[in-house]
Amino acid sequence: MAVTETPVTDAAQSPRMSKATHQRLIDIGVPVGTAFALLVIWQVGVRLFGVPQYIAPAPTDILGVFVSEFPLLMRNFWPTLIEAISGFFIGNMTAILIAVAFVHSRSVERAFFPIAVFINTIPILAIAPILVLIFGPGMTAKVVIAALICFFPTLVNMVRGLQSVSPQTLELARILSASKSEVFWKIRLPSSLPFLFSALKIASTTCVIGAIVGEWIGANVGLGALIIESTFNFRSPLLYATVFVSSGLSVLLFASVSIAEKLIIRW
Amino acid sequence: MKFGDFTALRDISLDIEAGEFWTILGPSGCGKSTMLRLVSDLVPPASGSVEILGKTTEAARLAREFAFVFQDATLLPWRSALKNVELPLEIGRKRGITIPTGDRTPHELLELVGLKGRENALPHELSGGMRQRVAIARALVCQPKLLLMDEPFGALDEMTRDHLNLQLLDIWKETGTTILFVTHSIPEAIFLGQKVLMLKANPGRIKEVVEIGLPFPREIALREAPDFNAYCGRLRKLLEDC
Repeated sequence: MAVTETPVTDAAQSPRMSKATHQRLIDIGVPVGTAFALLVIWQVGVRLFGVPQYIAPAPTDILGVFVSEFPLLMRNFWPTLIEAISGFFIGNMTAILIAVAFVHSRSVERAFFPIAVFINTIPILAIAPILVLIFGPGMTAKVVIAALICFFPTLVNMVRGLQSVSPQTLELARILSASKSEVFWKIRLPSSLPFLFSALKIASTTCVIGAIVGEWIGANVGLGALIIESTFNFRSPLLYATVFVSSGLSVLLFASVSIAEKLIIRW
Repeated sequence: MKFGDFTALRDISLDIEAGEFWTILGPSGCGKSTMLRLVSDLVPPASGSVEILGKTTEAARLAREFAFVFQDATLLPWRSALKNVELPLEIGRKRGITIPTGDRTPHELLELVGLKGRENALPHELSGGMRQRVAIARALVCQPKLLLMDEPFGALDEMTRDHLNLQLLDIWKETGTTILFVTHSIPEAIFLGQKVLMLKANPGRIKEVVEIGLPFPREIALREAPDFNAYCGRLRKLLEDC
């Protein structure tokens, strides 16, 4: 069972190290370079063909607006962030609790799963106006929409995760005379975490979509409201800048969930 | 220790003395695993009863009189080797159940199975043989009087298997526990067991109990001995007749 490692001399190791560093540079450099090249093509193309700014602004125009309108962008960034995060927590917590109920009782699953599927089949764009009508133009409607969009993927993954325990592990629990709650806390819940994090990664980007869609329907602040406003006023560079901020928000939430996953799931 | 008559396997009645090492052989589908599952209260007998030290299997299970080692190590992947060994001590503690603890701490058990220094390793960082040794240490943590092993080394390579066979004999000698060991391998059954229980298929019944008169301690070289090969031949013949 002993593993014999081939001894590596320093002389042999250092070129290999630099090769690894070289590889890393290529891994980072290629996508960054490609993105930069595309921006240059965009810039040159827009200027070369004299495309009007309200149809397609050049990257430098967008950057200019991003700097000059930064306070405006931030003023609209925070509400969307709060709505997205609140929706993320409420939607996922609800999904987790319902998944636990489903795994606990088959009849609850039989009664409510079809309803959950039905809710998921309603396009979010169709249900959003209804929710705005119910909850009014404040933040609540946006939070509910963001929560709703997170809900279903987490429910499905969490149910699968809680059921992912092998039959032998359950036999082990039985031999140890473990109670239902011990099986849940010590075996089922930790087993489900990798599945849960897959769902949370999806939810971290979709909750931003939910918040923005909610703001489209009726809001005076938020990135979604700013998108609508700048589109109607032909302020295309501001529109583009808002779109980039929105995707930046999604990336931020996705990265936070990924970091949490790395810290929690070591196996 | 006594097995009553049970019908899932028909008319099996056996008395196993405390401290004995029994191996169970038989063709596929003869109910070897079922037998261990009956003893360990994982499946109820259709009729008849199984007794362990004068207790029902349920009472024995609640008192942690026996432990089970599966073919797969069934470690919890998020727990370190040590934490996996400690799992049986945690189950039931909050409910106020008195958990029998052995003479050996989880640390000492990991040392006993040769994993000193790997206490904090996660299961995926260990080899298949090491994982199975963690599972054995976990089975021993409540100092069971009976150890049930269902092809525990079946998925391992031959070298690892030989090594673990020797180690299991050492552990048996050290702990004095009774062992029921199901295997597919005739040489393994002879090498480990004091007695080999040969089962017959359709329905599962006892074909024969063969006493292995080879002396302990046993070494790997024993496998070349003429006596050993004579037992192999005899058991192979019995297995063919099943």
